[in-house]
Amino acid sequence: MKKQIIFFLLVALCLANANLSVLAQSKTEILIRNATILTAAKGTLENSDILIQNGKIARIGKNLNAPANAQIIDASGKFVSPGIIDCHSHSMLDAINEFSFSVTSMTTVKDALNPRDISIYRALAGGVTAGNLLHGSANSIGGLNAVVKFKWGKPVEDFLVSDAPPGIKFALGENPKRTHVQVQPGQTARYPRTRMGVMETIRDAFVRAREYKQSWDDFRAKKTKIQPRTDLELQPLVEILEGKRLVHAHGYRSDEHLNLMMLADEFGFKIATLQHGLEAYKIAPEIAKHGAGVSIFVDSWSYKLEAYDSIPYNAAILWKNGVSVSINSDSDERMRRLNLDAAKVMKYGGVPEEEALKMITLNAARQLGIDKRTGSVEVGKDADLVIWNAHPFSVYSRPEMTLIEGEIFFDRTKDIQRRAELERERQELEKLDVNKPAGGGTTQPRIPSEKRTEDRDEASFQDGGNN
Amino acid sequence: MKIRSFLIALSAFILFSVCAVNAQTRTDVYAITNARIVTVSGAAIERGTVVVRDGLIEAVGADARVPSDARVLDGTGLTVYPGFIDALTNLGLQTPQPRPQIGGQPAQQQQPQSNSNYPTGLQPEVLAFEQLKGGDAQFETIRNAGFTTALTVGRDGVFNGQSAVINLAGSSVSEMVVKTPYAVHFTFRTIPGSYPASLLGTFSAFRQMLLDARRLQEMQKTYAENPRGMKRPDADKSLEALFPVLSGAMPVVFNANTEREIVRALDLAKEFKLNGIIAGGQEAWKLAPRLKEQNVAVLLSLNFPKRTASVSPDADPETLETLRFRAETPKGAARLAQAGVRFAFQSGGLTNINDFFANAAKTTENGLPSDAAIRAMTLGTAQILGVDNRLGSIETGKIANLTVVRGDILGKEKTVTHIFVDGRLFEQKERPRTPATTDGTTPAIANIGGNYSITIEIPGQTLPGTLALIQQGAALSGTMSTEMTGTSPIRDGRISSDGFSFSSTISFGGTQLEITVTGKVTGNQISGTIDSPQGAIPFTGTKNP
Repeated sequence: MKKQIIFFLLVALCLANANLSVLAQSKTEILIRNATILTAAKGTLENSDILIQNGKIARIGKNLNAPANAQIIDASGKFVSPGIIDCHSHSMLDAINEFSFSVTSMTTVKDALNPRDISIYRALAGGVTAGNLLHGSANSIGGLNAVVKFKWGKPVEDFLVSDAPPGIKFALGENPKRTHVQVQPGQTARYPRTRMGVMETIRDAFVRAREYKQSWDDFRAKKTKIQPRTDLELQPLVEILEGKRLVHAHGYRSDEHLNLMMLADEFGFKIATLQHGLEAYKIAPEIAKHGAGVSIFVDSWSYKLEAYDSIPYNAAILWKNGVSVSINSDSDERMRRLNLDAAKVMKYGGVPEEEALKMITLNAARQLGIDKRTGSVEVGKDADLVIWNAHPFSVYSRPEMTLIEGEIFFDRTKDIQRRAELERERQELEKLDVNKPAGGGTTQPRIPSEKRTEDRDEASFQDGGNN
Repeated sequence: MKIRSFLIALSAFILFSVCAVNAQTRTDVYAITNARIVTVSGAAIERGTVVVRDGLIEAVGADARVPSDARVLDGTGLTVYPGFIDALTNLGLQTPQPRPQIGGQPAQQQQPQSNSNYPTGLQPEVLAFEQLKGGDAQFETIRNAGFTTALTVGRDGVFNGQSAVINLAGSSVSEMVVKTPYAVHFTFRTIPGSYPASLLGTFSAFRQMLLDARRLQEMQKTYAENPRGMKRPDADKSLEALFPVLSGAMPVVFNANTEREIVRALDLAKEFKLNGIIAGGQEAWKLAPRLKEQNVAVLLSLNFPKRTASVSPDADPETLETLRFRAETPKGAARLAQAGVRFAFQSGGLTNINDFFANAAKTTENGLPSDAAIRAMTLGTAQILGVDNRLGSIETGKIANLTVVRGDILGKEKTVTHIFVDGRLFEQKERPRTPATTDGTTPAIANIGGNYSITIEIPGQTLPGTLALIQQGAALSGTMSTEMTGTSPIRDGRISSDGFSFSSTISFGGTQLEITVTGKVTGNQISGTIDSPQGAIPFTGTKNP
């Protein structure tokens, strides 16, 4: 009897181990078969396979052999694209703007990330795998950014792309000058109140940062004895001066973006991206010369005075001038259909298909400094992939599956299967006393609703709102 | 002569009687006999005696001798527990001063000058001890419920200040205080209209202060060694208050309920090697392994979330997350215990303090062993608060804080009969449920009509608003307005002798929320709680002249 029990236990143990190893392998080895692959780097590959090992794209080719334990995904008749990267997002942020000062480089959005924001899952369902989470635009120099992959369900530290270069948000024009915000009696208006003032504020911050850097340099060279103060506001600006931190500068008008690039040249650093850049087409050669990227809305303008002078050919003109262009959403809602925004640049200005796709994938990765690991379907890169039912530039397309580093984070079939289970759980939970309405009665039928306000930058006009 | 001898006899008699009374029952010596004694530090004694003398426990045991000078309380059918401790309250503190309203006259009630380099709200040096007021009466309700001790700290500001462990009786503050300061308390909150104005700024302000404190400490040390040729470092009482925090000698209590707030607190504690403690901790169980690994204790709120809103045809259905949250929260304590995380129960702003034990009982229904639940309001709490050498169990030489109960404190049928605080007996009047009135008529109804400026303490920020209350006898109508939610009418408003209550529907972030508001008015001060599907939110305010 005893022996039998021990034998049984041994068998159980072996089975458990076997199960574990299967799980571990199926997580790291996936073969996507017979897809049309839009690589966003090396053209379109028909009837091809992608082998994923250890979260990376191990092989791309026709009729690849499946390793013994690999999960096979038949993608016949389907399209595979790189995961979409949104170069300007405020998803996951419990706080977006620190309104108190015009320079808030001491803040970082990493402190306010919410890994359970439902917009993450919605983004995955729209094929988005990574985002540039930015501080709001209420500040001439805003807070530090976070480059994340949308690993829904994981702890927040797993979202951060560890080797992404650090970045920061700048803002020009209406939002940082804040003349649209009524000053309450008893309060003083925050400086600056004009575009001149915005530039002065940024210049002043860099002058202070230079002095601060000097004080540390002197200390390190043993010219001074007392260690200088660690200043969380100026430290990131020193990193900008040293070329270690990427500047993502919100702005609409060409004159102010030009002005900022001139200031950067004067202080010896580069602007990584001009965000929005509704008039960027007017200064395309100057942008190309400076080396900045531009991250735009494709065809959204005229929602405020400084946003009047844009055209849908913005992307095409910039591209023809050799400027790296990405298309962003700045919105939880628009983030889910960036593929269609990219399609529009083929119509307006005839940007080639692969170049259009790059504007939501590889170009965004380059602008964020993560193109070595993601942004295109190439061997050695992270397996950040979207399997579409149709060409992603078709209005009939939808993501069937979204993978990040070889792990499936959205699976449309499973999502549909799971709905009944969730509905059952809801019914069980609603029976509990704690969940019963106070005055009796029954819960209303569910109506889906958009809980969050639109995060596009005009939302930052509502101080104290959800932005 | 006759008269004289009579007088002598009389004086002798009086003298004798007085002596005899003294010899029999001194007012500071008690013996509770034949009682069940839950010592917590050791096994329960099914039938024994506890002797209290001069504020301390003199003896405890099945065979403990009853001193001849003790007043004997027959404890047959009673259970003696160590006095219960509420691990986080605002007890004994003055009502916070309302902030100058945006748009109003800013300087009506200025805070006294504090010579701090930091604004009100960012001052870790503020001591609860300094704000406490003495007197027994203010603690009557919570003491009658069975509590003898509490951790208390102000609830305003990003830094709430430094807390104190107090006994819930004493005519002076010096008598009440058991330990001060205990910890610096920190809330992920903002200072409206100033820095930090957002959660982002709250973190950067905290970080910069810790960095500056570290540097100031080093500079002061260097200066003390040799002041010549060095500019004198600042005397900065806010930063100096953080020195013991940086060394880990003083804990930092982070008010954090949601999983992500707790993660943020744990990250900060790790970043600066702080002795962190989580207060609230409604979702702490989700992070049990990490709390255990970082050896962070939890002052766990027993204010469990429940649905307070009634059905409204306009309201969005509740999210699955909300429904799960309410179902899972009472299970949290058992899960923390299972993972070996230290925790103590706190009332968490419960509107009815008697729910404390009812909800503690719910944690046992959800898998927490009863003795662990008792420990989380006695010795376990005392250990976290660093007063377990003097409080938290029934042991010889410890402070005589005792709660005597007819029935089981975690049972449904129970009455707290006697409370000893520092050896002083407070006998419980049986069932003080219905407030007695002097003339036997209906209770007097408070007169509360008027306009009030209120401050609502949403986690992470404070929200100013106004309450316009119109009173007609015991009925209440009017409106509630805030910048964020607009103006909404009051429904089902009622006023009683203890306070008022009403319901309302507010629009918040595009969602309709059903809220229930309860509160009371004292003089021109208003305070209370807003119950929403997301939990209870406190508010305070003043009547506008």
